[in-house]
Amino acid sequence: MLFFKFFFAVLSFSSLIILFIISEFSNETVLNNSHISKPLFYKISGTWGNHEGSLLLWLLVLTFFAFFYFLNSKNRPTDERLLTIMFQEVIILGFLFFLLKASNPFNIIFPVPKEGLGLNPILQDPLLAIHPPVLYLGYVTTSIVFSSSLAGLIKGNINNLWAKDIKKWVFISWTFLTLGILLGSIWAYYELGWGGFWFWDPVENISLMPWLSLTALVHCVLALEKRSILHSWTVILSIITFTLGICGTFLVRSGILNSVHTFANDPERGLYILFFLFFLIFLSVFIYFIYEDRFELNNKNLNLYTKETSIILNNWFVMYFLSVILIGTVYPIFLEVLSNEKISVGPPFFNKLIIPFLIPFLIFMSIGPNLKWIKNNYFSKKLKLIIIFILSIILSTIVSKFFGNTALNITILLAASFYLFIITIKDLIKKGFKNYSQTISHFGFSLLVLSILLNSIFSNEITSNMRVGDEIKFSDKIIKLQKLENTTEANFLKLIAYFKIEEKNKTELFLEPEIRIYDKPETITSEAAIKTDIFKDRFLVINLVKENEYLNVRYQEKPFMLWIWISAITISLGGIINIFKKNEKQIL
Amino acid sequence: MKTRIVLYIIFLLLAFSKSSFSNDQELENKINKNLRCLICQGQSIYDSQSDFAESMKLVVKQKIESGMSEEEIYSFFKIQYGEWILYDPQFNTKNFALWLLPILVFLVGGIIILTKFGVLKKRL
Repeated sequence: MLFFKFFFAVLSFSSLIILFIISEFSNETVLNNSHISKPLFYKISGTWGNHEGSLLLWLLVLTFFAFFYFLNSKNRPTDERLLTIMFQEVIILGFLFFLLKASNPFNIIFPVPKEGLGLNPILQDPLLAIHPPVLYLGYVTTSIVFSSSLAGLIKGNINNLWAKDIKKWVFISWTFLTLGILLGSIWAYYELGWGGFWFWDPVENISLMPWLSLTALVHCVLALEKRSILHSWTVILSIITFTLGICGTFLVRSGILNSVHTFANDPERGLYILFFLFFLIFLSVFIYFIYEDRFELNNKNLNLYTKETSIILNNWFVMYFLSVILIGTVYPIFLEVLSNEKISVGPPFFNKLIIPFLIPFLIFMSIGPNLKWIKNNYFSKKLKLIIIFILSIILSTIVSKFFGNTALNITILLAASFYLFIITIKDLIKKGFKNYSQTISHFGFSLLVLSILLNSIFSNEITSNMRVGDEIKFSDKIIKLQKLENTTEANFLKLIAYFKIEEKNKTELFLEPEIRIYDKPETITSEAAIKTDIFKDRFLVINLVKENEYLNVRYQEKPFMLWIWISAITISLGGIINIFKKNEKQIL
Repeated sequence: MKTRIVLYIIFLLLAFSKSSFSNDQELENKINKNLRCLICQGQSIYDSQSDFAESMKLVVKQKIESGMSEEEIYSFFKIQYGEWILYDPQFNTKNFALWLLPILVFLVGGIIILTKFGVLKKRL
């Protein structure tokens, strides 16, 4: 059964790809999103660069994982497996119905048009071609966790063994989501913005929310496995994670949100997903309360200085971050419906509510992993930890003193992240191969916070209008616009500007940003020129000024950009290691 | 313990001593980042290249040059275009829930943890 579903999903998806490749414009989806002159690679990626195709891809991944789960869960009780598959079927059915009813990718158009309307040019990008599939792999695996936790709940199987088996799925999902978000933000960095990589845009927030609840789940499933605590919380988190994923699909597809990432929307679709969402929430809450008494009772006493306490603290803070993002994203929608007043919730809101709480979070994160389960004699290590703490305060004071004008909370945050950074390095060296997936991920996280902070403190930029031959001075550099050149590419016109940047020590750097004018659909995009070095990125982007021979030029120096990407990769590397580590143990 | 407190105080003083903007360009960028480009899809005027954003940027520049403070510029735009244009939502009667709900979630979460796992309460 499952295999046939998967097989037919593969069949229909590959036939859609073929339709895109041969540019069959009698198909409505192909017509709206493709074009004869588009390069082959983007013809293929165009398959999922639109609503209908991406939904079909979603379904494909969903059926694949249902099948994969079936093959890989032989050590679970049969009735639990069947129930899991059943819930999975409900989800597949829901999406299948949605696909056929509201977003059929195989609608036929007659008479057959000669030419397609083309794919939105900013989506014509190699990173964006793999971004949705990776993200979908992450989202869809949360559905397995969701189904399995409901099935386990009904059968009264939520215990440490269940946690051990589901952990693998949680990690797979978490790793893919991390990578997916990373790809999206790298894309935003060089394609969308003027040097930003995270805008606190509603669509970005929506992808971050399931990630946060998964992060909480990753930790809490460990506590369940090792200590048999937090049974009900694990199930609740599984439900939250999956419904947040669906909720995100609803918000993105319905067009309620005002976002840079909104490419396709249609109210009818939104309504359907909303209905499906409510159905799933109702179903899971219903099941939860009916079978609640099947949880193993846990009245275990916890000691304060233990790993389990720090996991609870982690979950507490992560759920807070999640609620900030959730409320910040949906509050404007509710306010508009209720009082017809429009407000914007942007980066300052999130920064103000998250940064103060990030500080204790980072400190707990430095201490937590060094504690033991059940009982711990924490005080023996205290001296060393305090020394590191003082060291990190001094370090951050030097950093902020050296460059001036940083606010108080940033300095403290810097201190906290230095603290975590040094401690994770210490752990990495000391613990070696013991529990290294955790240490690597935590190290990556500290590196991430640190790089983002240093990046935001030390970024520097200049904006100016320039003509060919003009020069501008920027600190100790001279930026010169040497010449402009027009070329014609397969599906766009290109204007290249040649810049020379001369440093004080006479080293020269050449940057060539572009403006592209696409014809199908007619769009103008700016392609930034980025020179990535180990410690800083140089980012140059140009823009046409109307009725003028001037170019609007923005030059930015952004330190530690590379490290932001590296740290995110390090974080997911920890997840990957964990997935494979688990497998090795099972074989042995 | 004492050294830590002393260090804290020193470092608080250090941090407070510097907090003003070094030049107009930085202030301008900051303001631009906090204003929504009204005709765009969720972009600030800093990130947008539309005509609307470009002309707004000019207005911001002029206002700074005429000596208006950051707050005055925000309220100028708020009067002109409504609160929708400000990315930093103000704390007022209709937004208080926006600011307080997350804090409430945090507190409730804390209470749940304390009641569920009494140990924390016992020890503290």
